Amino acid sequence: MRIVLAEDNDILRKSLSFFLESKGYEVDQFSDGKEALEAIETNNYDLVLTDINMPGSSGMEITQYIRQRIQSDIPVIILTSSGVEQTELDSFDIGANEFIAKPVSPAVLLVRINKLLGIRI
Amino acid sequence: MNTQPYPIPENELERLAALKRYNILDTLPDNAFDDATKLVSYICGVPIAHISFIDASRQWFKSEIGIGVSEVPREISFCQYTIMETKMVEINDTFLNEQFKDDPNVTGGFKIRFYAGIPLTTPDGYNIGTLCAIDHETKELDENQRNALSIVAKHVINQLELRTKNIELAAQKKIADRAVLAKDSFLANMSHEIRTPLNAIIGFTDLLAQTKLDTVQHDYIDSVQIAGENLLLIINDILDLSKIESGNLTIESEPFNLKKTLKQVYKLLKVKVSNDIEFNLFLDADMPEHVIGDQGRLNQILVNLVGNALKFTEEGDVTVSVKMLEETEDYYSLKFSVKDTGIGIPEEKLKTIFERFTQAEESTTRRFGGTGLGLSIVKQLIELQHGELQVKSKVGRGSEFFFVLNYKKSDYIETKTEAAAGESLGKLRILLCEDNVLNQKLAKSVIHNFGFDLDIAENGEIGIELLSKKSYDVVLMDLQMPVKDGYQTTEYIRNEMKLTLPIIAMTAHSLIGEQERCYEAGMNAYVPKPFKQAMLLDAIKTALNPENIPTRRRKVDLSFIDETACGDQNFKKEIINLFIEKIPVDVANLKEAFSRDDYDAVKRLTHNMKSSLDMFMLADLSNCLSVIEAEALLERFTAMGEDEINTLESGIVDVVKYLIEVQ
Repeated sequence: MRIVLAEDNDILRKSLSFFLESKGYEVDQFSDGKEALEAIETNNYDLVLTDINMPGSSGMEITQYIRQRIQSDIPVIILTSSGVEQTELDSFDIGANEFIAKPVSPAVLLVRINKLLGIRI
Repeated sequence: MNTQPYPIPENELERLAALKRYNILDTLPDNAFDDATKLVSYICGVPIAHISFIDASRQWFKSEIGIGVSEVPREISFCQYTIMETKMVEINDTFLNEQFKDDPNVTGGFKIRFYAGIPLTTPDGYNIGTLCAIDHETKELDENQRNALSIVAKHVINQLELRTKNIELAAQKKIADRAVLAKDSFLANMSHEIRTPLNAIIGFTDLLAQTKLDTVQHDYIDSVQIAGENLLLIINDILDLSKIESGNLTIESEPFNLKKTLKQVYKLLKVKVSNDIEFNLFLDADMPEHVIGDQGRLNQILVNLVGNALKFTEEGDVTVSVKMLEETEDYYSLKFSVKDTGIGIPEEKLKTIFERFTQAEESTTRRFGGTGLGLSIVKQLIELQHGELQVKSKVGRGSEFFFVLNYKKSDYIETKTEAAAGESLGKLRILLCEDNVLNQKLAKSVIHNFGFDLDIAENGEIGIELLSKKSYDVVLMDLQMPVKDGYQTTEYIRNEMKLTLPIIAMTAHSLIGEQERCYEAGMNAYVPKPFKQAMLLDAIKTALNPENIPTRRRKVDLSFIDETACGDQNFKKEIINLFIEKIPVDVANLKEAFSRDDYDAVKRLTHNMKSSLDMFMLADLSNCLSVIEAEALLERFTAMGEDEINTLESGIVDVVKYLIEVQ
């Protein structure tokens, strides 16, 4: 299973990808939203995990692009430190499958990912 | 899709309940199950194998090879039929099978040509799932393969049972741990409740004894003092035992004067000896004066053993002797012995006397008193110092208790300690935060003896009010107070009022961990109650010495990092190093952007840093960032934001210090 992880905080990105890799996933990491988007267009991923605020493209833009331009139903999980309810509503509105507030619990993240990948049959 | 209603076992409700008991559905992958699945695939030589569980609506795969999904609807599964059976279902060629030849998973889907499924049956007889081997070609298993499949199926069920038992065990362990915790805090609370009034009783008796009294009054006061001290001993015994049991008792390693200590113990006990007993202390001529070890515990051991010897001896003698067995380059090996000519201990009781609440005779307690804890504590205290308590005894002839302890050599040279007087410190202004009126009075007279000024606040709130109006040199802080307790008050004084004056904790609690909690809250010293005059003065002196003002130690919670690192120490190190390298730079950049009123840069930096700080569970510092970020969003920086940056900066310095230490 291949996962895109877009997160501009180095420490968090490295930790999460190490965690997911040790759970058996293949993780492509990006600190820039635009680069993540290009990778999503050219490769075949099973899931997208993205922060909202990033240089390049935001997580919202990435989600919108996946759903509207590429017309893909790949599962998208949005991570954010914003505690604003509207952000969560907006995320689902534009087609994200999950919304996880930071700090992200690795165990919870893993369960959500597994659940989403299980749904895709 | 099969539109036929799927077959339902007649015990379906109980079956679902049995499945639920195992709590296996939607759990994470597990090696033990994956291995079993691989084994099935190897044994049967098939590309597809799985272990699955069937609930009301779906077949969920705990482990699978060649399937690639985590669940399928129950109505399209082959296994819905297998759980109706008691033994293995084997379909060698689905094309020739009436029931399955038109099944969508035969004609398309998983293209099942061969199917072998064995129900997973719980010990109480419910088929909760299946273990299957599947191929795209026709196949027939031989007898060995079939047997092997049944065995693997049994193992899977065993694995499930084991897993459930382990979960139950873990839950029980949690309950037990909580009970221990409850016991500890009960003991701490009880000791507080008992020691607070006792503190007042002993303290006032002490003061009263110093006033002018006639002989009869002196006698009464002596009795009160002895009774009070005995009661304190018993409470301390109970606390000690609970500390030893929970592994919280530590043996100190400080230089002390051994000869003096032994003579003091002798003098202390001498007063209790009746005229019919000869009480002796024999010290080896080449006994060392100074050693390194735990003076308090040696005291406790000897007082206990001698106390017993005196209690059980009506006439004759009680002898304490200390002999040097060996002297090496680093330590002295000393044999301590307490010998009496008392009632002795019957041989069959020699083993049980060290057990707690046990005395040689049931009637002993009635005749001689005591809690029955003393010997048990002494034995454990000696063992904690790597010695062994031994006993020789004969009924009617007497007993000898002896043990060998090694003390490290000391090059300590004694300096004459000052008498307990406060003149050298001048007229200090002291604030006492204490709710108990008796303790207030006691502290007042002691502090007046020193010649200091004292103000009293009966809770933390009032203390803070006084502090904001008047300046003090030292705060004496009780920990348990109404309205605002000692910890909260200290945190307020340090964090909100930003005062650095020394705060000394005074407490009747004596559990380990409390001292540390005091230091963490920002206190500088710790005096256990009931306090002695000299001890309090010492604490005040130490706290006033600027070299002794400890910087607040911060502890960093690394549980998040541990979780993501999955036990990989190198990766943990790497992440910690990344933090050490990156965050101080971020802080400097933030400070610089803040001073330039560069709102965008501040927004970007605070947002990014927050994720990092959250991972290290630094909620307070993350909060600082939120405040700064909010100001950046409003595009107006204030003095408050600047304060937060300074707090953040010094906080990060502490965190980095801690992280470097734990590396």
